[in-house]
Amino acid sequence: MNLENKFRELQNKGEGAHMPHVYYGDPHEEFSLKLLETLVENGADIIEFGIPFSDPTADGPTFQAVCERALENGMTPSRCIEGIKKLRTKGIDNPIVVTTYYNIPYVMGVRKFLDKIKQAGAQAIIVPNVPVEEADVLLAEGKKSGIHPIFQIAPTTTEERLKKITDIASGFLYVIGVEGVTGVRESLGDSTLKLVQRVRKHTDMPLMAGFGISTKKQAAAVVLAGANGAIAGSAYARIYEKNLKNPETTLPEITKLVEQIKQGCIEGYKQRK
Amino acid sequence: MKNGKFGKYGGQYVNEVLMPILIELEAAFEKHYKTPEFQDKLNTLLRDYAGRPTPLYHAKNFSKLIGCKVYLKREDLVCGGSHKLNNALGQALLTKEMGKKRMITETAAGQHGLATAMAGNVCGLETEVFMGVKDIKRQASNVKRIKLLGAKVTPVDIGMGVLKDAVSDTLRKWTTCSQTTHYLMGSTVGPHPYPEIVATFQSVIGKEIKKQIVKKEDKLPDTIVACGSGGSNALGAFRPFIKEKDVRLIFVEGGGESLEADNSAAAFKIGKPGVLHGAVMQVLQDENGQIKPSRTRAAGLNYPGRGPEISGLVDSRRAKSGSAFDNEVFEAVKVMARTEGLIPALETAHAIAYMVNNKDEFDKNEVVVLNYSGRGDKDLETIMRYFNES
Repeated sequence: MNLENKFRELQNKGEGAHMPHVYYGDPHEEFSLKLLETLVENGADIIEFGIPFSDPTADGPTFQAVCERALENGMTPSRCIEGIKKLRTKGIDNPIVVTTYYNIPYVMGVRKFLDKIKQAGAQAIIVPNVPVEEADVLLAEGKKSGIHPIFQIAPTTTEERLKKITDIASGFLYVIGVEGVTGVRESLGDSTLKLVQRVRKHTDMPLMAGFGISTKKQAAAVVLAGANGAIAGSAYARIYEKNLKNPETTLPEITKLVEQIKQGCIEGYKQRK
Repeated sequence: MKNGKFGKYGGQYVNEVLMPILIELEAAFEKHYKTPEFQDKLNTLLRDYAGRPTPLYHAKNFSKLIGCKVYLKREDLVCGGSHKLNNALGQALLTKEMGKKRMITETAAGQHGLATAMAGNVCGLETEVFMGVKDIKRQASNVKRIKLLGAKVTPVDIGMGVLKDAVSDTLRKWTTCSQTTHYLMGSTVGPHPYPEIVATFQSVIGKEIKKQIVKKEDKLPDTIVACGSGGSNALGAFRPFIKEKDVRLIFVEGGGESLEADNSAAAFKIGKPGVLHGAVMQVLQDENGQIKPSRTRAAGLNYPGRGPEISGLVDSRRAKSGSAFDNEVFEAVKVMARTEGLIPALETAHAIAYMVNNKDEFDKNEVVVLNYSGRGDKDLETIMRYFNES
């Protein structure tokens, strides 16, 4: 299913979307596949499929450790792309958004990389270290490959930039609610909600809010504020990293969390007037 | 130069949180740098605090050994012991102009951390220095100095605990506080406008060389040799000569133990173009694009990337790149100590080693300026250990 249809389907059902972010290959491929299946079966609408990078400068300590472990265990971009194919073979048809840092597509060749993830079954790509200023290649090649480059908006984004970004964006916009890196935060500041409201004034495009979201309450709050959905990533890694030898044993706890966050996305939508 | 691009190198590969801050920084630099008030403040500090201009010393004994005429540009005499203060003072003044109260930075050899702490104190700014745990250990004397000046030293224990990791963590920290805090980047690396700002502040070195050498030799130098990784001391010396096509520019990177994988910092020899820390650079990486840790005994050269401008200069063949191995570098320290009575920093010793190893490259009548970027006090223990063990 493509992104557009997924967002429409959810809107018709009156639900916010949940997109969990998983870096593939931590601690090993078999677990990542099980984890993604579990997430999809229990509430995930869209998959953010992370390809690990050695120097993930937009990621906090949890995801840094995740990337380091995945790479130590031999995960490569090509194996990740095979992993997307495996998900499709298993019958998972939720939209898949690939996340990675620019050096990975840059070294493979941006066009080749985008063609490969498209063929494997992905719909979009998030490259956190490519702002609009450097996005020409990604935009041009994305168009040819049929992959949406997803852009981010931050609390520091000026009105002028906001317009520039919404003009070229497609798929959805990724709203970073906090100044900082990925990772679980106790409370969701007003800044996130205000930013969602600010961006909403500029565009009807779907908005996904992320960074620091790890609870049902936080997910409900961003959806209530006008986001189409909530992204959570480190929160899941923090559960399975407690038992890296047998991460499968943590799947029941992960099931519970994904159900709750999805429930938050639904409730936030229902609370809207 | 357009948008900080040097051929295929450079750019602004940062996340959206930082992009508006980089735009603000570029605007502030363009607004303030050229004003007489800013120039006056900067030049006064460079003269009265840093000790500029630094001498251009005709090293006769070393010249005899190499077989050409060698001048040393004595950046080791800048207060703090290296060229790093030139840039730190400039950016600290800029920080004040922008109304920010704090500076963060990262350091490997400790020279830039020390320079930032000094500049911070002079300008009344709070300073926090990120440093890899491995570097904290091997550059202990500089850590003590930085702490004595009152700056906070934050250990970085991710990755290998070296410069690459410290830069990553400082970037992360900066995304949380960029509106109140300036990241004082110490080398000609990172996203635009940093490479431009740092090279501009460091080019005081080359401007002085030009004046001094014309006075002494009545001509421009034939060759300039400088060590580097990001390229700040090299570009500082090279910049005013880039358009002087007859002046040879030689850039010496850290060869490490050998050029085999994982033992070197020689990105021009064994790296390829890639995106790291905000820019396309020549960078050490594996076939999949994962950045590889660099290795050299000189902490200040231990970075997997070459800055965008030096990458562009080498790519276009305007500058030649060379390297020196660790054992050659230690020998070069001894050579300089015995010929001229000077103990160079291990980083600087790379440029010296290059000349010692490649005497044939230098003609009898050739006038060479070696950018003597720093003194070796900080490396004394490492140097003594090497000679005692070998």
